[in-house]
Amino acid sequence: MKRNDRFKPFARTGVIAGAAAFTLAISACNAAGPQAQSTPTDVSFGPTTSEAAGPIDSFTWMITQEPATFDLDKDSGTAENTIMSNVCERLMKLQPDLTTTPHLAESAEWTSDTTVVFTLRKDVTFHDGTPMTADDVLWSMQRHAAKGADESDEYANVTDMAKTGENQITVTLKQRDAIFLQAMAGNGGIVLNRKVVEAQGANFGSPSAPDACSGPLKLEKWSAGSNITLTKAADYWDADNASLTSAVTFRWADDNAIVNALTSGEAQGAYLDSPATAGPLQKSDKVQIAQGPSTNVWSLIATERGALNDERIRQALSLALNRQGVAQAAFGGLAKPWKTPVGPGAWGYEEPTFSSAYEALTGAPTQPSEEDLKKAKKLVQEAGVPAEPIVVANSGDSIRNVISSALVEAAQKIGLTAEIVTIPRQQYGDFYSDASLRAQADLFSDEYYISKNDPVGFYKNGASTARVNFVKFIGEGYDNKVKEAQATTDDAARAKLAIELEKQWTDAVVWIPVAHTPATIAMAKDITGAPSSASFLYYPWAADVGSSKK
Amino acid sequence: MIRAATRIAGMILTLVVSSFVIFAAMYAAPGDPVTFLIGNPENMTPERVAEVKAQYNLDQPLIVQYGLWASQAFVGNLGTSFQYHQPVAELMATRLPATLALVAMASVLFIVAGVGLGILSALRQGKRTDSTITAATTLAASVPSFVIGLLLVSIFSVQLGWFPVSGAGEGFLDRLHHLALPAVALAVGAVAIVSRVTRQSMVEQISMDHVEAARSFGLAPAKLIRRHVLRNAWGPILTMVALVVASMLAGTVVVESVFGISGVGKLLVDAINTHDFPVVQAVLLYMVITYMVVTTLVDLVHPLLDPRIKAKDKKS
Repeated sequence: MKRNDRFKPFARTGVIAGAAAFTLAISACNAAGPQAQSTPTDVSFGPTTSEAAGPIDSFTWMITQEPATFDLDKDSGTAENTIMSNVCERLMKLQPDLTTTPHLAESAEWTSDTTVVFTLRKDVTFHDGTPMTADDVLWSMQRHAAKGADESDEYANVTDMAKTGENQITVTLKQRDAIFLQAMAGNGGIVLNRKVVEAQGANFGSPSAPDACSGPLKLEKWSAGSNITLTKAADYWDADNASLTSAVTFRWADDNAIVNALTSGEAQGAYLDSPATAGPLQKSDKVQIAQGPSTNVWSLIATERGALNDERIRQALSLALNRQGVAQAAFGGLAKPWKTPVGPGAWGYEEPTFSSAYEALTGAPTQPSEEDLKKAKKLVQEAGVPAEPIVVANSGDSIRNVISSALVEAAQKIGLTAEIVTIPRQQYGDFYSDASLRAQADLFSDEYYISKNDPVGFYKNGASTARVNFVKFIGEGYDNKVKEAQATTDDAARAKLAIELEKQWTDAVVWIPVAHTPATIAMAKDITGAPSSASFLYYPWAADVGSSKK
Repeated sequence: MIRAATRIAGMILTLVVSSFVIFAAMYAAPGDPVTFLIGNPENMTPERVAEVKAQYNLDQPLIVQYGLWASQAFVGNLGTSFQYHQPVAELMATRLPATLALVAMASVLFIVAGVGLGILSALRQGKRTDSTITAATTLAASVPSFVIGLLLVSIFSVQLGWFPVSGAGEGFLDRLHHLALPAVALAVGAVAIVSRVTRQSMVEQISMDHVEAARSFGLAPAKLIRRHVLRNAWGPILTMVALVVASMLAGTVVVESVFGISGVGKLLVDAINTHDFPVVQAVLLYMVITYMVVTTLVDLVHPLLDPRIKAKDKKS
């Protein structure tokens, strides 16, 4: 997982949270807000929108903030990735269905337990027309792996990288690493044109610098503070996947302004930060909404403060929580009640196996039944009611308000008392690093996601050494199973281990999962083709956008 | 000469004190920049936290950090943004034009409308026009600018499609078109204040003896107003206009957010939320300086408009 924008959704709304909420209400011509909306029926769910019928000249896309830099080794978040996924290609390629295939590397083979060999394509050219060489690839990988680089954690197990042939790079790792190839479809696998990067020096990534990549679109112009334009790359090496559009303009604004830009037809699309934003857009006859898999889940994360260190209290609260109510009230029905702390976007392989294992999980009902409540009360009785009330942290934004209230309600139903403490939103992210802040609350709610499509990438967070395992959960054999899963490159075997980890984690309710927030795309009805899954962060989605009519 | 020197010394002192207060306030504010700089909670090991703190001098005592910053700022280096990895001066340079254009347009609007309505109100003192203007401006002043902004957007942009929804536009005419609604939203509250001050100041002047005297000599009403009333009433009006403009330079944030304009106000709020200290420092410093410049300008212009002040200055 990369620099997360998790801290940003609330940071961004900041001072004008009231304004945003207000607009959502009036843009929908419905002062009642999202709570009043019925469950949507016209939102399709799947990895992509229907295929484009033909090319289009150009379109305008909204993002929620101006990118900070296009040197993704310095930093990257949603804004940077949404744009650069179209500009920069990687050794591997993430597909809309969130699986990974070879790309700039025509193959990637494990030749031993600890060596992986990349055979590079010979026909790739960068945007300035120069051909990609193995030297460029090696240099790029070393740049990503350098200490302090944003992607260096992806290379943590790498002990050596070398050019072992005209078109071949061999990577040696400390241990077998099942995630490594997936990581090469992310920003850690971007191949840069060394000549261009070095010519720019420290300026690389700033508004005046050109891109140094190959890809269906290239960076045309970044007018700082105003907009960014990509244009179709001339003579793109992969002609079958050339861009259908000649130009894309990116503009940025807050959620409310994005809603207005889409309804007025000033912009043609946006990947929405929160499904809640889609509420008012559903009323527009010019805009279509689609959703697809992501790994994002809102959870209530238990801290080491005390009351929730007893697993039975966590289980009881999980059983009593009204997830359906949260999905409806906080997200207008566009989020899904969820039983695990990581979304279905993580099922990047063996999807049916993961799906049926998920169905079989218990302990996190959509809405608590009488039976669930009875079970929960019994657990509380066994554990004993904590001397002090359970404290849940809020930040005053609408999603957390709903989740905190739901937790208080759940506690009341099963004979516990819970209260809400409000923490300034600017400080909320510090829960992960500041033990004294965690001492103020038993639970804090947050949206968590991982950038790789593998549940193992999440469940390593339950290892006894993990930073976010605040309740010191130690599952029997769990740590070893994590290590084994990370080293298992066979998909079926890894899925089996991942499901065992999932079962142990969810049985112990290390965090209380609440709702899965799918990737949500809003697009003008006359264009189509973009993926609706979270793949837009790494897959060249804009190249697929075209006219919906022939 | 001595007056100018004390004045400059005073300004420098104000800058030093205010910049230190801003600096200290940022540190007292809840939240830690390290959280943003590291980002990924899984990477928040004590070692990494210490490393990042050292890299950005965040492990130094407050006064040392202030010293490092001030000595650099003194030679014109405002530092590098934590978030954008760009020199803060460059960031400011790309954001300022939108904000300045917005404030300039709003100022023209509120000065013309505010002074105009104020004069009209004063001349129709006690009549229906007067009470209508007072009531309307009171209402306008009580509605927050973001609410006005949202209403304007939903009517004139979304429903009628006459104006763009967001952005600041490029090129002169496009910019005028883009900033028209935000400027109106920003100006509405100020119209009320300025019209009120104009009215009050005029009413006071109208009741003065010399005005009465001039009127009894049979001076034409228009001339009377121009020469005797308005001329003497300018002082408080100008002071109020200047204060409003100065506060607008610092207060565009809400309107910028509603209209999706990447201006200085938006930059400041984002920087506060991400604890981007160098940017917060620079933007607030810009605000302090513009405030000082505007108020100093008013002090300089005042005597030119009102000879009585000049005369008083000479005597003292």
